[in-house]
Amino acid sequence: SRNDQDHLLIQSTTLYVGNLSFYTTEEQIFELFSRSGDVKRVIMGLDKVRKTPCGFCFVEYYVREDAENAVRYVNSTRLDDRIIRTDWDAGFREGRQYGRG
Amino acid sequence: KRRRTSDDVNIEDRLDSLITRVGEKSTSSLESNLEGLASVLEADLPNYKDKIIKILCDCVIYLPEKITVYTTLVGLLNAKNYNCGGEFTELIVRNLKDYLKTGKFEDARMTVRFIADLVNCHVLVAGSVLQMFDNLIEVTLEDNIPQVRSDFYVYAVLSALPYVGRELFEKKEQELNKLLQTIENYISKRHHIHVPSLRVWSSDDPHPQEEYLDCLWAQIKNLRNNKWMEKQISRPYNAFDSVLCDALQHTLPQIIPPSHNDEIKYPLPMVVFRIFDYTDVPEGTVLPGSHAIERYLIEEHLQKIIDSNFLERKECAAALLSFPTKNKLPLNYIIIETLFAELFNLPKERHLELFYGVLLIELCKLQPSTMPQVLAQATEMLFERIDTMHTICIERFVNWFSYHLSMFQFRWSWDDWSVCLEQDPNNPKPRFVHEVLHKILRLSYHQRVMESVPESFHCLLPLKPQPCYKYEQEGAGSLPGTMKAHALMSAIKSKCTPEEAAQILKELPSDMSDDNDLSFNPLKIDVFVSTLLYLGSKSFSHSFAALAKFHPLLKSLAETEESQIYLLKTLYSVWKSHQQMLVVLVDKLLRTQIVECSAVANWLFSDSMKQDFISGYLWEIMHSTIKKMSKQVDKLQKEVDEGRDRLDAQRRRAADGLDMDGYDEDIPTTEMIDRMEEKLESAISQQKSLFLIIFQRFIILLTEHLARCESEGIDYNTAWYKWVIERLQQVFLQHHTLVYKYVMTLEELLFTSNIDIHILEVFQQFCSLRS
Repeated sequence: SRNDQDHLLIQSTTLYVGNLSFYTTEEQIFELFSRSGDVKRVIMGLDKVRKTPCGFCFVEYYVREDAENAVRYVNSTRLDDRIIRTDWDAGFREGRQYGRG
Repeated sequence: KRRRTSDDVNIEDRLDSLITRVGEKSTSSLESNLEGLASVLEADLPNYKDKIIKILCDCVIYLPEKITVYTTLVGLLNAKNYNCGGEFTELIVRNLKDYLKTGKFEDARMTVRFIADLVNCHVLVAGSVLQMFDNLIEVTLEDNIPQVRSDFYVYAVLSALPYVGRELFEKKEQELNKLLQTIENYISKRHHIHVPSLRVWSSDDPHPQEEYLDCLWAQIKNLRNNKWMEKQISRPYNAFDSVLCDALQHTLPQIIPPSHNDEIKYPLPMVVFRIFDYTDVPEGTVLPGSHAIERYLIEEHLQKIIDSNFLERKECAAALLSFPTKNKLPLNYIIIETLFAELFNLPKERHLELFYGVLLIELCKLQPSTMPQVLAQATEMLFERIDTMHTICIERFVNWFSYHLSMFQFRWSWDDWSVCLEQDPNNPKPRFVHEVLHKILRLSYHQRVMESVPESFHCLLPLKPQPCYKYEQEGAGSLPGTMKAHALMSAIKSKCTPEEAAQILKELPSDMSDDNDLSFNPLKIDVFVSTLLYLGSKSFSHSFAALAKFHPLLKSLAETEESQIYLLKTLYSVWKSHQQMLVVLVDKLLRTQIVECSAVANWLFSDSMKQDFISGYLWEIMHSTIKKMSKQVDKLQKEVDEGRDRLDAQRRRAADGLDMDGYDEDIPTTEMIDRMEEKLESAISQQKSLFLIIFQRFIILLTEHLARCESEGIDYNTAWYKWVIERLQQVFLQHHTLVYKYVMTLEELLFTSNIDIHILEVFQQFCSLRS
């Protein structure tokens, strides 16, 4: 429900990151987002059919505060010459990495 | 008392917003805004006095950059309503005592300053504030206290003097002189052992790097010579002189500093950071000299703006650029100097490193025609002076610069730095460029880095990161494990179970070398770990998945510390060209408890890592290992504390004869708490031994170097020595609160009088930070 969703977002340590270049790698994302704290994992968004990166990913932190700092200081800055944007995500579940690019 | 209604809440919110926003941009003058606000508040005093006074007291702490706006407001209220002024004074004094008792020293310092400024608004009599200063300064006469304690009290008084000095000089000159004499006596007898470890640059050329109290004292002496006239503080109360001079003044109750105890953590000393002087800024504006009080006041004001706005980078940049006296100042230069001072502050940067990076970008965006040039000029100067820069600061410089370049398409005039190409690659300049290129590589990719720098710089370029799998390289046929490695590879590729993989490894010969007394089978680790990492080499995620799938097998292969070190060596042999991969995978191995912290530390100090010992990434691993260890201790400590609290609470309820039903939280048993405590104890002893390992290895390494240089009659102060001794300092500084817990043990076991004075000095400097 809406409430559950809000609750998840308030506690979340996961960010959705959009407007990535298709060529940007997990390593690059790791490096930039590690500058606000310890990153637990990066899940690359993949094209449903071709299984190649398609411009988004999820970044999960160990602690909330580090994710908050990423929203403050990484959101709307450049990675691979593109302005990336971050949004809170309720948490990654298997299957959500597939998109349309 | 009346009950609070929702109307009250609305009015209180409105009061809060009116008070906190006064002095912000407005179409009418600050004076008329203040006058209007004072009248509004006067009308609300009968019903909301407590609330109004509380909001004003909060502004003392949360909006210190607007201090004189609020002292003026308090002055106007006092002129209208004497009791209100009295109650405000009562509360602010109570707050001050509370801040001092609970160790909120910065809040206390701002409160002392606010109280002092109330003399200017005719709220307090001058003699009363002098009495408060005298009481605070008396701390300098106490025996057996750490210097940081008396330092704080002197700092609190000195930093209030620019505000109230003139009034005290006019009204109480003799008493003021006596106070200054006491301070001078104190300043002249302070020790300075801590200074070398806090300096960003070890050299005083071109600018002296002064200790903060010495510097402020010099600035205050200048102010005194100028008859306490300064040009920086905006004093809105001057406009209300005719109203304020009729007001009745209050006297302060006595404020006696709480006595010292060892639990109190006083602020650490600082060293003032300088890049620019007046010759660096363009004509037309004047940069106040380093001993002008204005320089101190501007820098502190900027710091307060940053502290109030650091959560919102855009607002922060805008607030800095709309600094009140900006037209008279080379503001961009002072902002840049202040930001780098905060970024390079030792032992710790004042805010997250990344914050400064992004704030500088915002500043460049807001003033694209001037800010980037000033920033480039500062960067050139930092690079120029890098030879004497502290290793910790070089590291922060690398991090910031690589980040900054990544936001500007990696464009930089590298050719200006080609001097570094002719130097010993271990020297700070070439090392800096090399490390920057490594970080740029992480933020982009190899081809991009190659194209970003001139060809002459390619000698400093990192290798292209790729895995090295020896069982598929030329000559692999003669290696003892090759057959099994290939078998393992095809088994894992066809999704074998961990048990099947273990079965394949079982068939490997157990001793591949003459070293028969090993507690583990190195060949098994080598074959398994290198094959697994190679198969997962496509990305971090692939590697993580590979480690996760075979976690129990990895754990069983590396039960002892020796075998864990061997596993780390294997990891290095596969990924030595990919520093970021090493950092990330060691982190994973630690978190999944395949290797322990002590194994990582011993591996980093081992001969096999010698060639990377001054590389930044190696220290990135070292410090993140120490940090993980301490997080584990903190976590276990928290569990024990919470468990005990719950048990105690339950016992109290039982003793009170309360019904236990309805309490569904888990109440731990005494046995459970005992077990938690055991775990905590063992983590603490691991932490202690981790520090002992690190410091002991440092001592061995440095002693060897010093002895060798002495016997060969050469200068010990080599590039390598500078890196290593400053890395030792870094361990002390970066983890100072933690290391401080073990200071007795370290003094007894390691940093004894027998070791070389150069090494001992580092320890003594560290100890003096809090003494």
